[in-house]
Amino acid sequence: MSRMHPFARAGLLALAALCGFVLVGAASPGTWLLDTLTGLFAAGLLVMSLHLLIGYTGLISFGHAAYYASGGYIFGMVLQTPAFVAACGAWSVPLATLLAVCGTGLFALLVGSICARLSEIYFAFLTLAFQMLFVSIIQGLVQYTGGDQGLTGGIPRPAFLGLDLVQARDRYAFSAFLFVAGVLAVRLITLSSFGASLRMVRDNERRAAFLGVNTYAVKVLAFTAAGSIASLGGVVLAVFTSAAYPEWAGWSVSGEAIFMIMLGGLHSFWGPLVGVVAMRVINDVTLLYTTHTELAKGLAILFVVLVLKRGILDWLTDWRKARRKSPSTKEQRHAAP
Amino acid sequence: MLRLEHLVKRFGGLTATDDVSLTFPAGSLSAIIGPNGAGKTTLFNQITGHLVPTSGKIRLEGQDITGLRPAAIVRKGIGRAFQIASIFPSMTVRESLAAAVTAHRRAAFGLASAFPRRDVAGRTEELLHLLGMEGVADRLSSEISHGDQKLLDVGLALALEPKVLLLDEPAAGMGPEERWQMMATVQRLWKSANMTLIFIEHDIELVFRTAEVIHVLRYGAVLASGTPDEIRGHPEVIEAYLGRETEEEPA
Amino acid sequence: MLDLDALLNCFSATSCLVTQASTGVIIGMLLFLVASGVTLIFGVLHVVNFAHGAFYMIGAYTAWSAYGATGSYYLAVLAGALSAAVIGVLFERLAISRVYRENLLMQLLVCYAFVLVADDAVKMIWGAEYLAMGIPAEFRVPPYRFAGGVVPPFYVFLVATSLAVAVACLLLIRYSRFGKIVRASAQNATMVSVLGIRVPVYFAALFGLGCALAGMAGALAAPVRSMTPGMGLSILIDSFIVTVIGGMGSIPGALLAAVMLGVTRSFGSLGFPLFVDGAMFIMMVAILVFRPQGLLGEKALR
Repeated sequence: MSRMHPFARAGLLALAALCGFVLVGAASPGTWLLDTLTGLFAAGLLVMSLHLLIGYTGLISFGHAAYYASGGYIFGMVLQTPAFVAACGAWSVPLATLLAVCGTGLFALLVGSICARLSEIYFAFLTLAFQMLFVSIIQGLVQYTGGDQGLTGGIPRPAFLGLDLVQARDRYAFSAFLFVAGVLAVRLITLSSFGASLRMVRDNERRAAFLGVNTYAVKVLAFTAAGSIASLGGVVLAVFTSAAYPEWAGWSVSGEAIFMIMLGGLHSFWGPLVGVVAMRVINDVTLLYTTHTELAKGLAILFVVLVLKRGILDWLTDWRKARRKSPSTKEQRHAAP
Repeated sequence: MLRLEHLVKRFGGLTATDDVSLTFPAGSLSAIIGPNGAGKTTLFNQITGHLVPTSGKIRLEGQDITGLRPAAIVRKGIGRAFQIASIFPSMTVRESLAAAVTAHRRAAFGLASAFPRRDVAGRTEELLHLLGMEGVADRLSSEISHGDQKLLDVGLALALEPKVLLLDEPAAGMGPEERWQMMATVQRLWKSANMTLIFIEHDIELVFRTAEVIHVLRYGAVLASGTPDEIRGHPEVIEAYLGRETEEEPA
Repeated sequence: MLDLDALLNCFSATSCLVTQASTGVIIGMLLFLVASGVTLIFGVLHVVNFAHGAFYMIGAYTAWSAYGATGSYYLAVLAGALSAAVIGVLFERLAISRVYRENLLMQLLVCYAFVLVADDAVKMIWGAEYLAMGIPAEFRVPPYRFAGGVVPPFYVFLVATSLAVAVACLLLIRYSRFGKIVRASAQNATMVSVLGIRVPVYFAALFGLGCALAGMAGALAAPVRSMTPGMGLSILIDSFIVTVIGGMGSIPGALLAAVMLGVTRSFGSLGFPLFVDGAMFIMMVAILVFRPQGLLGEKALR
């Protein structure tokens, strides 16, 4: 396996994952598992695309949810246009997805090219400002977006390629596909030469510039890619809820995304997905006893930040490394009184 | 190769570079020395474009590069290694060098193939061999010794195949053994890459044993230039470093 | 969507002008108090206090309870400021002080966690429904009439108190021994501690002061704004906008920006109600792009 080209390896893993998801979907009796996984897929896309920015480029964006929501809105609005569905027929859903990604990509390109000129805190604030501006616009253009209520009336989802998105299983399979595709895209980027440039910019932007890298272009491109991939998450949500809501672009969505990345671990590729699952577990377990999920989440964050000082996967990796380095000292420690 | 013509740099009332004219022939190995505050790093900063000279010209192969932005000067072929190693902590030695080579080959935005590209990987192995860093190639840059980090810093600059390489105190912060190894490596790199090398150093013995030509700066002006033997016995140079009984060294 | 007629009509009638302007000014002053806290903490400790809105909320709720218990609004305001200060100091000692040197993400997370905990705590103690204090007994007096417009006396009290407190803080930071020590510690804590000064105490005190400003703002706002857990978010966003536009670290800048924003909101709710927020964000974007140090900020930080 290790002799294989990294891209091929990633592609194979993606294929295997997709098959696995589909099998699980086919075998699952009720819809609870499918719905839960779909929710995790959407969050996973949001979080992995943000990871490209925070983990790999060192860019902290507070307003990533805007691109997530934008994907859902473009998808929904396009499909709610009768002329579009009439023209595209069976290709409506795939084309709408493509439009959502491209439209969001353009949006991200625009915002990114403005924000990337600034440094840390100001970059973060500006991305937040744009996100809130986006929300304001959505809420203001009531005629097109449904304003506060969101896109109501359902989103037409003409069947395509044998998939009827009204059926839970088909919807789930489509979401799984988008999820695997999105994560694969992030993986390929991190494995490529561009991925090395991202890491250079993260570690030492000044030196990267000295080596002739156009760090501004790197940042803008990373931002655009991240936004585009996040939009797939919005599409998953839109398909799932048959709607789109301004809350998807809210500050708490962005904040939770950042937290999920930190919870899982910044320093590995899979960390953020671990964070998504962990967050869901915390949420669901808390709900068994009390409605105060916010309190539980808050305490969990404080624990991770102040005690572990790094994400779960990172902590596990460090722990395993430490064990491997000095098994003898551990025994000594146990032996000593 | 590189010529400084009547370079002057003033910061308000302070003259950091005082009418400096120096020539660095192609393929030469020169050192710039001088007491603290003599303006050595300021001179480097003007050559690499981080400071714009108040007046005077800098010519690379005859071409005027005065006042060009740092990125442009890098492209013209002037590389620099830093006093405090400026490296990529989370990347391994091999990855860092490969990234630099990738940037040099204008493939920094490549998405079509995995990193490092085949041709980049080949060149990276060459660099590792040249630097003598095969042993630490797969260690994280943050985890190698200080001396190795400085060497990596030089390696990153080398990856750009510069015509002129500026080394800012290559042996700084190293123990006695390490310094000599470093300078031996510097000489080896210089010979094999056939480039013009200029370095700033404080350790005089190191300079005398390594450099072909030595330029001494004092209070921003050139005090003396010559071969190590000529400089060794130069009375003004000795005075500049040791000073007279009542004089205080500039900070 | 865009009701320019209503806006123009208001400009031509002094009574409307006065009423809207006075509303705008008090919105601005409340914002100013909160933003002063943010800018104080950032300017001196270089920490962005993302939990600031939570202290505003704590101040408001405590004031509500204190007023209900004592019947004195002045005590309520004091209680609000004090509770925010005490909790702020605890938060600083237990959590914030550990992430001073960490990057922005850690600070954000610690504050975010605090907000989650505080919101739920408030929900548990006071319930999730909206609470209202109403104009306190001390101010149930006939309103002032000015050029045909109405200005409630409480508004005057609010403006006067906010200004007085903010000016007092500014003077404290600039000229007092406390202020000098804190500012010096922010630049070089090691040096200051070597002089025998217990730097952590000063940092905690400053953080507490910043939170007290937010708490006081909450208490002052209680009579004119309804309270709900989670009310901290919108004031947080607004105060950040104000801080950025005015300049991080500049209290006069915060005043200028806050009044600008307050007035924009007030007149905006007449002329372009759905785009009021949008207008403010556009202003913030413009400042960040063209003048990132803010209107009266210190240095450009590109």
